[in-house]
Amino acid sequence: MRPRRPEPHTLAGAYALDAVAGTDKVRFERHLASCPACVRELAELREATARLAGAAAAEPPGGLVQRVVASAALTPQLPPVPGPAERWRARLPMGTARRPARPRRALRARLALALAAMLLAVAAASGAIALTTEHRLGAAERRDHQIAQVLTAPDAVMLTARARPQGTATVVMSHRYRSLVLTTAGLPPLPAGHRYQVWLMGPSGDRPAGLLPAAHGGMTGPVIATGLAAGDWIGLTVAPAAGSPRSASAPILMLNLAT
Amino acid sequence: MPDADLGAYLGEVARGDQAAFEVVCARTAATVFGVVRSVVRDPFQAEEVCQEVLLEVWRCASRFRPGRGSAMAWVTTIAHRRAVDRVRAERRLAEREQRATAHTIAYDEVAETVQARLDRERVRRCLRSLTELQRESVTLAYYGGYTFREVSGLLGVAEGTVKTRMRDGLIRLRDCLGAGR
Repeated sequence: MRPRRPEPHTLAGAYALDAVAGTDKVRFERHLASCPACVRELAELREATARLAGAAAAEPPGGLVQRVVASAALTPQLPPVPGPAERWRARLPMGTARRPARPRRALRARLALALAAMLLAVAAASGAIALTTEHRLGAAERRDHQIAQVLTAPDAVMLTARARPQGTATVVMSHRYRSLVLTTAGLPPLPAGHRYQVWLMGPSGDRPAGLLPAAHGGMTGPVIATGLAAGDWIGLTVAPAAGSPRSASAPILMLNLAT
Repeated sequence: MPDADLGAYLGEVARGDQAAFEVVCARTAATVFGVVRSVVRDPFQAEEVCQEVLLEVWRCASRFRPGRGSAMAWVTTIAHRRAVDRVRAERRLAEREQRATAHTIAYDEVAETVQARLDRERVRRCLRSLTELQRESVTLAYYGGYTFREVSGLLGVAEGTVKTRMRDGLIRLRDCLGAGR
């Protein structure tokens, strides 16, 4: 037996709850286009559903807002009035218009973009004023070039890990360049005289791989670590500001780089 | 924050103002994350969807029409729709094996988490003022991400009845929330 067709108008409540799917939805939206009273009713019912949303409010994970704001910097916005192409695209089922032919590659591009956004955001926040001499600019440029190389490497892989007690680290790694780029968000601020230190830990021993720069808006800009070896893990420890030659303190984060 | 302010910030976001976007994110992230998490349940997926939602707010800010409803309702509509899309895609994958039992389990979970999370006293009180069928229809659809046809199956009530209970329930909820404001 086929399900009975619902009367379009009485579906306003279900529609406000996003509880209408498939042909029911198509039919109701068609009805909506020619029913100003329904549009008004829907708007009123959505004020009620907004309160249901508010009642479920929960603290989002640390660094989420900063990551979104950084990504927004590189995300183009829609113009005020939808053009025909936009309207057409909006009617396609979710994902159809944007489904990438090669998902992994598209995903990587998006992540690289997000990381690039972080880099920009951090550079903007710090004013990039430290780089005054030709020499230092040259070093920074070389470093940025290396970072870009890893982010766009054909074999780049992205990994994320949570730190204890809070924060996340994002790693983009390329075996071809035996390098990885690390950014973090939401790590707890450290007392004066301390820094976060990056380690490569593996069969060939624990090697210090640099210090994280100071955080801006909860995020640290990209740090590149080179000389990856098979079986390596990446670790983060809290170290004296000058860094420590040995990994003395317990890591706040350990991530296996084997993929 | 008064909603008019949020709407004004959205207007600035539509003109590409990143500082305004940061304010909008800061003020809506908890609600967006909360509603997405109640529907999607998996915290990692919820985080991902929440980021997508906030980026959509950035991308589509120019489509917000102050005359057609509050800014918060505009944002939560995007959030809920995205969350529902995600959870339905997941269910389609899982459904083939356990069609019969999946719903029973999901229903128990929904009832429990919803009760646990409705910490806002006013909303909880107003939900209590609905009939049981209105309340169940509204919360299963909103927090559970079910369609009215699925809710009808879950509750063993005719589709037509569920659909009208959803509408009546929301109207009563709106009146109850509006009256005590």
